[in-house]
Amino acid sequence: MDNTHIKNKKLLMTRTGAEREKQQSAEKAGKPITKRVRITITLTLFWFMLCGTGSVTPAEEWKQAVTPWQWVFPRDHGQHPEYRTEWWYFTGNLSDSQKRRYGYQLTFFRQAIASSPLRPHNPWSVRDVYLAHFALTDVSGKHFRHYDRSSRTGPGLAGADKDSMNVWTLNWSARMKKNGIHLEARQGDATLKLELRPRKPIVFHGEKGRSRKGPQEGQSSYYYSLTDLETTGTIKTPWSREEIRVEGTSWFDHEFGSNQLTRDQVGWDWFGLHLSDGRDLMVYFLRKSDGSIEAASSGTIIEKDGTTQHLNAADIRMDVLDRWTSPRSGAKYPSTWQLRIPAARIDITLAPLVTDQELTTTASTGITYWEGAVAGHGTSEERDVAVEGYMELTGYAGSLGGVF
Amino acid sequence: MRVVTKSFLRYLLKRRSLSVLQLLGIACGVAAVVGMTLSAGSALSSFAQAVEFLRGKSTHVIERPAGPMEEKILKNLMNDPAIEAFSPVLDRQVRIESGDTVRLLGIDPFLDRVVRPELGYTPSAGDSSGRLGQFVDFLRKERSVLIENGLAAQLGVQPGSIIPTSKGDLYVLGLFPNPSGEPLLLMDIGHAQELLGLSGQVDRVDLILRDETGFRTRWSEGYRIQSHRQRKETLVAMLSAFRLNLEALSLLALFVGVFLIYNTSMFAVVSRRRDAGILRSLGTYRKEIVLAFLMEIMLFGIVGGALGGVLGYLLSRFLTGLLGNTITNLYFFLRPAAPAWSNWIVLAGSFLGCGASLLGGFLPLQELVRLDPVEALSGRAASRKAEKKTWHVALVGFCIIALGIALLLMSFVHVYVGFAGIFIFLLGIALVTGALLILIGPALKWVLYHLGGLPGKIAAGNIRRNLGRTSVAVSAFMVALALSIGLGAMIGSFRQSLLWWMNTQLRGDLYISTITDTQVPEDFYREVLAIPGLGGVDPFRNVQVTYKDTQISVTSVDASVLQRYTRFGWLRGGNENWDGVKSGAVIISESFFRRFKVKEGSTVTLEGINGPETLKVQAVFYDYTTEHGLVMMDRATYLRLYNDRTINSLGIFIDPGNPRRQELLEEVRRRARLRGLPILTRNQLQGNILTLFDSTFAVTRSMRVMAIVVAFFGISGALLTLFIERRRDFGIYRALGFSTSQIAVMTLLEGLGMGIVSFLLSTVTGTALAIMLIKVINLRSFNWTIFYYPAWQPYVLTGAVALCASIGAALYPIWKVRRTYPQMQIREE
Repeated sequence: MDNTHIKNKKLLMTRTGAEREKQQSAEKAGKPITKRVRITITLTLFWFMLCGTGSVTPAEEWKQAVTPWQWVFPRDHGQHPEYRTEWWYFTGNLSDSQKRRYGYQLTFFRQAIASSPLRPHNPWSVRDVYLAHFALTDVSGKHFRHYDRSSRTGPGLAGADKDSMNVWTLNWSARMKKNGIHLEARQGDATLKLELRPRKPIVFHGEKGRSRKGPQEGQSSYYYSLTDLETTGTIKTPWSREEIRVEGTSWFDHEFGSNQLTRDQVGWDWFGLHLSDGRDLMVYFLRKSDGSIEAASSGTIIEKDGTTQHLNAADIRMDVLDRWTSPRSGAKYPSTWQLRIPAARIDITLAPLVTDQELTTTASTGITYWEGAVAGHGTSEERDVAVEGYMELTGYAGSLGGVF
Repeated sequence: MRVVTKSFLRYLLKRRSLSVLQLLGIACGVAAVVGMTLSAGSALSSFAQAVEFLRGKSTHVIERPAGPMEEKILKNLMNDPAIEAFSPVLDRQVRIESGDTVRLLGIDPFLDRVVRPELGYTPSAGDSSGRLGQFVDFLRKERSVLIENGLAAQLGVQPGSIIPTSKGDLYVLGLFPNPSGEPLLLMDIGHAQELLGLSGQVDRVDLILRDETGFRTRWSEGYRIQSHRQRKETLVAMLSAFRLNLEALSLLALFVGVFLIYNTSMFAVVSRRRDAGILRSLGTYRKEIVLAFLMEIMLFGIVGGALGGVLGYLLSRFLTGLLGNTITNLYFFLRPAAPAWSNWIVLAGSFLGCGASLLGGFLPLQELVRLDPVEALSGRAASRKAEKKTWHVALVGFCIIALGIALLLMSFVHVYVGFAGIFIFLLGIALVTGALLILIGPALKWVLYHLGGLPGKIAAGNIRRNLGRTSVAVSAFMVALALSIGLGAMIGSFRQSLLWWMNTQLRGDLYISTITDTQVPEDFYREVLAIPGLGGVDPFRNVQVTYKDTQISVTSVDASVLQRYTRFGWLRGGNENWDGVKSGAVIISESFFRRFKVKEGSTVTLEGINGPETLKVQAVFYDYTTEHGLVMMDRATYLRLYNDRTINSLGIFIDPGNPRRQELLEEVRRRARLRGLPILTRNQLQGNILTLFDSTFAVTRSMRVMAIVVAFFGISGALLTLFIERRRDFGIYRALGFSTSQIAVMTLLEGLGMGIVSFLLSTVTGTALAIMLIKVINLRSFNWTIFYYPAWQPYVLTGAVALCASIGAALYPIWKVRRTYPQMQIREE
């Protein structure tokens, strides 16, 4: 690498920094800023409804993620109803026999409305609402399609077991059987039927799985992942219209808590990446309305052998190299990133595999965000590596501004 | 040419009053047709819209053959690969304070928003927090409802209000628009289950299917799956008999209209014969006269038609409401939107008026073409010749009557043939009128002489001498009156048959709840059953099921109770027919028997919860509850077939000799009141049915009024022409020494004489018409026998109308006579 290249890069970085400032001042002046992070995706609709009406359990009645959690599996793969919000998050990068690349996302959210149903004998009596997002990316065809839905528990319409992983929203489901996780989803011409087998042990983020989301005591959640899941199965995309055998790597996040957010958090950028040298990397950045980064932002490096290393915000350098504006929402998302973690000797650039992987989820959470397959390259411990994974960018589209 | 036309037009101006009547006549005829057609069209199209609206995006519906289904099947539906989306629905009625029932839909907003996004009760991105709060309340707050805008306005409620209903108070959370206008309440499905006592049950599931065939193979047994096209067709088919009746009424309106216009044109020609003769003798071409006359007819047709279009539009606004009520009472809720105004209505009216005028003017024009100027100038056609012609026409009339009767006999081909037969029959009768007038002549002379002395005698002579005109007037008047009698007698007989039927079937002392009301809890049935001393309790259940791809009714009763306390009108046999019903056979209504050609002793196969089941038909009974066919069975059979324990109402029977009768009745009432169930005595129930019956015939009755109005204009116009034309005669009478009063009496009696003759003829024709409507049209379109009950009311009513109309029509000429000097009347113009 010669100097000019580095210089150019620096210039680029400076420009993007200035750009970011410009955008933030524009947001302050004009568009109402939506404040949400990954957690809020599940919350938006309901959390604010609850505050507004007061007809349901007040926030204090929910357990807070304040003490370290005593993890027991498979029990903790199940739901934790004493916490208000919970999600099971699956993303993955796949390819077929012709080396065509695909990406998928299947997410289940549980959002409690009240700590107990009004009429326990009637299954329609609402306690939890389940919301789900499902997306497929066809990298070679440059296609992206996403679906979302919501349902109350009802007579078996949606739910999650308490003692193991079995979560479903109508006919979308994630079930753990004999150490493998089975994912199934079908909507219209899109279907997904995958089996996921972990290659690395469970990873606990933050302090033994308690992940801080802000400075206050209760502003945390319990968060663990299965970062390296060997994936096989079939998908059917609206563009192929026939079943495709695929294999690849998936990432599973399970998180639950009650009260993670502060109002000055605008959104967040999350990355779940597989490096070709066997390292996995999770990074999230909470963005605040004043343009700064929440000090509690953090990350985790998972080595090839499964050992983990916690990263503080100060350990991570993120720079936006390019941006993309959504023609639908008008939101301007960062697209190309440079990610550097000097302590772990990681320096990679990332770009979306398909530019437009924006989700507008009118049938469930009502939030517009970007979540999609990304890939890149760079160096890890001075060795060239290829990177693939998923990126989630929230808080860039102002569609729910009025609610807040 | 211009001279001729001008002379014709000048005539119109000079005879202003006559022209106005003529115009009004055409306008009324056109208005009747336009009004009827517009409102029928509007009712049927709103119906289609209403069905479409609540259907949403769903393609199919799955339900049990009868009664609700268990909600646990939702889990299986959820995993069925053929289903794209589904939404369970509880579809019931609640009674509001005014006594009206309102449809209550219990839905799950999460599932339903995919199927019916346009209902828009679920908040979406960008909604205010108020909407979100409302949504949470909808889910969490029991007894909370969303109310359709129209109903909210009607009840004067807004968010936060309370609606008292038969099921307790409901809390209004918000309003939503419903383009079909059906009063609708939306409630969360869980709360609806609690409110209605239907835990674990849903009425149906609306589906969006992507693979119908696959789905049907998996769900065929024990369920009824209908595509929305089928469902709509079924609903449309339910209306078919009703629609046919509407069409027939429109046609009837058209018939009366054209007849009236014909009548008017006839007079126009006849009254112009003389002018035409003068013009011809002055050297005008025949062609020019015909053209001028045609122009006059067209002018009248266009102006009158346009006016008729406007009047018809106004009429349709009124009729549409009536039609909506009728359909609501008989079939399902419908509040048709009033037809929208369009300039095309005027154009269509003109076109119709013009067409009918030309049609009506055809015969008179023929006469004008053949006109001999000398004969025309000599005044009116020689009566001898006219009489001869009258006999010829009568002969043709008799042939047409025969043809009409032949068609009526052939009505088994299609009910339209029957309608055609009726029209042709009426036409034939109209043609025979002239001859009948000659035959009746002497009798009329005698009557009028005794009524008014010499002027009466002259009046009778006048009627006969001016046969060419009077017969047309009389026949038009007669047809209109006959229509009034026929419709009236038909409705009367139907009402009598209904009364008879009610006394055969509805013999209970008390009825708890009604079929349109909310249901009776089964434990209440058991509770009432346990009261010692009651003669019998009949748990009545009526449900719509599909049989041979159409909707029929299945009714479940307690056969032993009915055997003991009712006297069904059996086609054959007596109450021993119930013995078979007790052991699992069914009885069928006459409409079922005629519609599906199922005879007693044969079998019917019904789709039950365990697949098709064949049941023996024990007997056929007279019934007027549904024209689509009804199968009645014992509750035990019904439960085996459908496993539906719903009860719509209870009939309570107590032996008349029971000394504790009053006490028992009070006991049942008390218990029903405790449950908030409506209680009706036999008389109240029968009264309700009669009210319903009467309201369903509102349209027919308004048609009858229309016929009378049209008749009034017809007879007035005809008489007026007659008198105006003969003003000179009045002068001569005056000169001969008749006093003004005598001439007035003469005029009056002439009008009266025509009225009497028209009425007498119409009694015969009307009775014939009533019998045809009963024995042919009703039997063919509704598949039920109405027994003909002679009644005097329609005759008296119609007679009174005839009297008033003929006297009223004579008043203007009388006023004219009194005002004008005799010499002016003699003077040649």
